[in-house]
Amino acid sequence: MKSLKHIVRLNHCVVLILLATGWGYASQEATPTSPSNADAAGIKEFSDRAQEFVKLHHSVEAKLPKLKTTDVPELIVAHEQALARKIREARPHAKRGDIFTPNATEAFRNAIQKALAGPEAPHAKATIKQGDPLAKVRLLVNRAYPKALPYTTVPPTLLLNLPKLPNELAYRVAGHDLVLLDVKANLVVDYIPIVIP
Amino acid sequence: MRRLFLFLTIVFLLAPNPRADEFKFPLKSNSVRFAAIGDMGTGDGPQYEVSQRMVQSRESFPFDFVIMLGDNIYGSHDPQDFEKKFGIPYKPLLDAGVKFYAALGNHDDPVERMYKPFNMNGANYYTFKKGNVRFFALDSNYMDPKQLDWLEKQLRDAGTGEWKICYFHHPLYSSARKHGPATDLRVLLEPLFVKYGVNAVFAGHEHVYERIQPQKGIYYFTEGSSGQLREGGLDPSNITARGFDADRTFVLVEIAGDQLYFQTLSRSGNTVDSGMIQRQELSPSKK
Repeated sequence: MKSLKHIVRLNHCVVLILLATGWGYASQEATPTSPSNADAAGIKEFSDRAQEFVKLHHSVEAKLPKLKTTDVPELIVAHEQALARKIREARPHAKRGDIFTPNATEAFRNAIQKALAGPEAPHAKATIKQGDPLAKVRLLVNRAYPKALPYTTVPPTLLLNLPKLPNELAYRVAGHDLVLLDVKANLVVDYIPIVIP
Repeated sequence: MRRLFLFLTIVFLLAPNPRADEFKFPLKSNSVRFAAIGDMGTGDGPQYEVSQRMVQSRESFPFDFVIMLGDNIYGSHDPQDFEKKFGIPYKPLLDAGVKFYAALGNHDDPVERMYKPFNMNGANYYTFKKGNVRFFALDSNYMDPKQLDWLEKQLRDAGTGEWKICYFHHPLYSSARKHGPATDLRVLLEPLFVKYGVNAVFAGHEHVYERIQPQKGIYYFTEGSSGQLREGGLDPSNITARGFDADRTFVLVEIAGDQLYFQTLSRSGNTVDSGMIQRQELSPSKK
């Protein structure tokens, strides 16, 4: 009985950590799986670093002319390219693992593994297959996501099990890699290789 | 015998509806009239031919706006691509004041949200209202918890008593051979659609036309052949109400009160599907 109370208390702690790090989304049909404490710490590390990147993004973006919706595509393309260039210049030594740290990588691997082994796994796997999988694509940190390539759908039930991201960032699946993309700059911020089955 | 029956069923489903050419829109005053196109942004001849057919159709069916079901611009997204794959083919419609409302497909660059003629107002997903119809344009490439929260709130706030139409790129139901249905997306979206009384859903992605038998009371259309085409790409199933994979198509819709009238036309102007849908109110238990 004592150990049961201990487990319940532990679960409450995990829930609090999850809420603090913005993990997951409650749904009646598909629910996120719970990470261990070590994984929650890895996710916290990831979230902190992602926030740092977003701060940098904002500081760079503030120096550019504000982009409003326009019927001149040249302005849209030029703004995206300028933003990407400035971010690249602001983090010239960016490399894989800066944001997906080893701890974070481990937490993501576990989360993805669990999500793709759960009840929604066949749907998630079908979604990846149903998109246009970029099997032989290897993206590079601080480089643009190739414009001519289609996006592979990130399985929605997988997204339920990954930390929420600020508006500037999104997860992408490229082949077997999970990519963290700056969507406004179309820039690869970081990625975890060979994590998607 | 079984094979013969299956063969005849497929022939029936894929053949143009012989009576469909007699179809006439009611053209009621204050009705909501629009066209739906998907997977069109190739910049190639067939896209231009479909757009010409749309212009012609507008003479007898003056639609006010177009919903774009994704893959609005294929391949590179250089400034000239916006022109070649959108601005030029639809110029006669744009000049006539027809508005376009885009959803993003897997070949679209999210920068399209900043392109004013797509009316996305800088957002990957958004909602707008026309008459008694509330539209929800979703980003099915990236259905994250944030978007799901937003959608649920918008659907809840829309209340009852008016049409709710969702559109996005990946079809929740499909009998096409290439991709098939987006079942992972269905797991999350369908319960919301049912709970909040979505009436009809339009999608693209599969380069064919297909109308699905109502699923849990919701009507599903796939229109992914307004530029692209996968000939013979449809494998009609027991949920297929009508399918067409022999030419490019687009859909015309008129909503008058509680009736939705639709007509699907091929590039050559043949009617490949048509009909009327009656809006169903939510059952009290779902309210």
